[in-house]
Amino acid sequence: MKKSKLSRHITWHVIGIMSFFNVLIIGAILVFVFRVSLVNSDMRGQYVVDGIEGKIESTLWAVHVGASNSRNEIERNMESPEQVFDALEREITVNQFMGCFAAFEPDYFEGQGRWFEAYLYHADPSTSSGIDSAHLERQQIGSPSHDYFNGPWYKKGLSRDRQGMGYLTVPYFDNSVDSAMYCSYVLPIVDRQGRKVGVYGVDLDYLWFNEVFSEVEKMVKREFFDNDENLQDRNGNIYFSVQMIDDKGNRILGSDSLDINILKAEQEDAFGNLGMKDLKGTPYYVNFKSIPYTDWTVAVIQHRNLVFAWGKILALVILLCMGIGCIVIFFFTRRSIRRATKPLGFLSESAKEVAKGNFDAPLPTFEHNDEVAQLRDSFDNMQQSLVKYIEDLKETTAQKASIESDLRIASEIQKGMLPEKFPTKEDRDDVQIFASLTPAKEVGGDLFDFYFRDEKLFFCIGDVSGKGVPASLFMAVIRSTFRTVSAHESMPDRIVTTMNKTIADMNKTLMFVTLFVGVLDLPTGRLHYCNAGHDAPLLIGTGVGELPCDNNIPVGFRPTWEYTLQETQIFTGTTIFLFTDGLTEAMDVDKAQFQMERVNDVATQALAQQQQEPRQLISMMTEAVHQFVGDAEQSDDLTMMAIQYIKENNQ
Amino acid sequence: MTTTIQEQDGKMVAILKGCLDTAAAPETEKAMSPLNDVEGKDIIIDCTEMEYISSAGLRIFLAILQNAEEKGRQVYIKGINDNVRTIFTITGFINIFKFM
Repeated sequence: MKKSKLSRHITWHVIGIMSFFNVLIIGAILVFVFRVSLVNSDMRGQYVVDGIEGKIESTLWAVHVGASNSRNEIERNMESPEQVFDALEREITVNQFMGCFAAFEPDYFEGQGRWFEAYLYHADPSTSSGIDSAHLERQQIGSPSHDYFNGPWYKKGLSRDRQGMGYLTVPYFDNSVDSAMYCSYVLPIVDRQGRKVGVYGVDLDYLWFNEVFSEVEKMVKREFFDNDENLQDRNGNIYFSVQMIDDKGNRILGSDSLDINILKAEQEDAFGNLGMKDLKGTPYYVNFKSIPYTDWTVAVIQHRNLVFAWGKILALVILLCMGIGCIVIFFFTRRSIRRATKPLGFLSESAKEVAKGNFDAPLPTFEHNDEVAQLRDSFDNMQQSLVKYIEDLKETTAQKASIESDLRIASEIQKGMLPEKFPTKEDRDDVQIFASLTPAKEVGGDLFDFYFRDEKLFFCIGDVSGKGVPASLFMAVIRSTFRTVSAHESMPDRIVTTMNKTIADMNKTLMFVTLFVGVLDLPTGRLHYCNAGHDAPLLIGTGVGELPCDNNIPVGFRPTWEYTLQETQIFTGTTIFLFTDGLTEAMDVDKAQFQMERVNDVATQALAQQQQEPRQLISMMTEAVHQFVGDAEQSDDLTMMAIQYIKENNQ
Repeated sequence: MTTTIQEQDGKMVAILKGCLDTAAAPETEKAMSPLNDVEGKDIIIDCTEMEYISSAGLRIFLAILQNAEEKGRQVYIKGINDNVRTIFTITGFINIFKFM
């Protein structure tokens, strides 16, 4: 069996719908995975920046406690530059600062000039095992070349609230002292009147911050990645990095080699504290958090591959599962649909068998009572109906053939009732007779009859109402009744009246017959006749004329009717032409009737041509009717009878 | 051939139009059969627009007449044309029907 188109159609339909929803689901999953990955990484970034910020802040708090105590000491001792230096020296020893300084507003100390910045530091910190006054150096470093008034640290320090936290500068090289890198924590100096008169600062070693930071950095990396070294993927891309940057985006702290310039694009946003950002143009995402009391910002930078690492794997696994699922479903669906539609193919084959006429073609049977099984049952029903129908048809056809055969026989019987031998002048010297009867169907309701008894010619012509089998049965009855009655009655009116009584008594169907009965006395040519509703015969002798007839009713339905007798003299050579209305009412294709006028015309023509002998006359009349009717179907039985009186001695 | 039956002034009127030939006879007989079920009313058969009647048609008229007479009612035939009148004359039916 060739591949079913229906199953393919349904399969692709189902697969199409499934694929559509699959794509939707996959899309939703991808979006979800994407969002979850971002949220997850954002949480990680936020966690790290919060941790580092907290660590730096607590470190700074420790610095603040020492520095603010020192600053208070300075405030109590700033009558003269010497007092300031002394106070600085005491504090540096107590707190073990690397260095500290106090810078004052312009012209604060008389005689010191515009700039005064007292600075105390360990001259050689690398060799110091402890802080003692021997290695301390006092310097006044304020000068036009070190115009600290415009230094950011001075401005920031001065701007702080005395009760609050100070400000931690970004790391710098102190060229004025040595080439080491420092950060300074600065606080405002306030005089007894509450005026801010300078800035006190403590030097903090950059390396110390770096150590603190590195420790946190390593801890974070270990926590998340079990690895505190550079986190690089196979392509050398750093995928997780922690950086401390200043307000210009420069690196302050940070161990790995990540190109810090990628962060500079974010500078305009002042490294806001909002959630994770996509660094446009780079494969990185970043979380920022600014460290309070500084211009420092901690940044956690995560590579796209890290952000989506699990998401990618998850998405791939899901896609793979769905793909495999789709393929499996495709095969199972196809198999199921093929199995479901296969019976249709079998049914189709069976239908072809039935169409070939093989009505007993076996139908496939199905296990399930589904639509296909119902179709099969309907089909079975149809098949049985067909078988029965065909049997009925055969029977009907056989019956029809039988009826047709019966009708043929009936037709023969009916013809057998009619006289077959027509006397001519060769046979008799008194009359010659000819007649023809053409039924519209196999059998008809027209009749004619004649016979001789006691030198008399008894004849009749009749037309039973209707045609076909009922009419033919009635015709047979009429004909036999005519013979029976006329066997002992010689007057036509008596014959017809008796016939009428007999027939009307047994006539339930109200069929009737128009009948003309004549009795011709052969020696004399005297004609007695009785017309029961029939067309008046023509007399064709010296001219053509109708035989006058009383208007008696047809025979068969009024048993009490008394029919009238008429008589006339038939002269030698005269032909009595009798006919049924099948002649006058013969129709052509346009339903026009032959009419009495044409009958008269043909009779006149026959007379003129000396063709009034029975056989010639009927032949002419038949010819004329055929010509008139043409191809139209004969609508009624057509009967003609002609009787010519030829007895010579009468003249 | 069309047959319409209606009641007019207490009489049943059957209006026949067309050609009542042998082919049209069975249909017309069926259409006129309600007339046989009517009690106590005279019947008028309106033949004004009837062009022709065959012997099978005459049989229908005869059946209606027979039925009506059994119930003591009258049957009238109205408005026959010359052609139809000739048929009624020849067949003698002119003797058994009443015309108006």
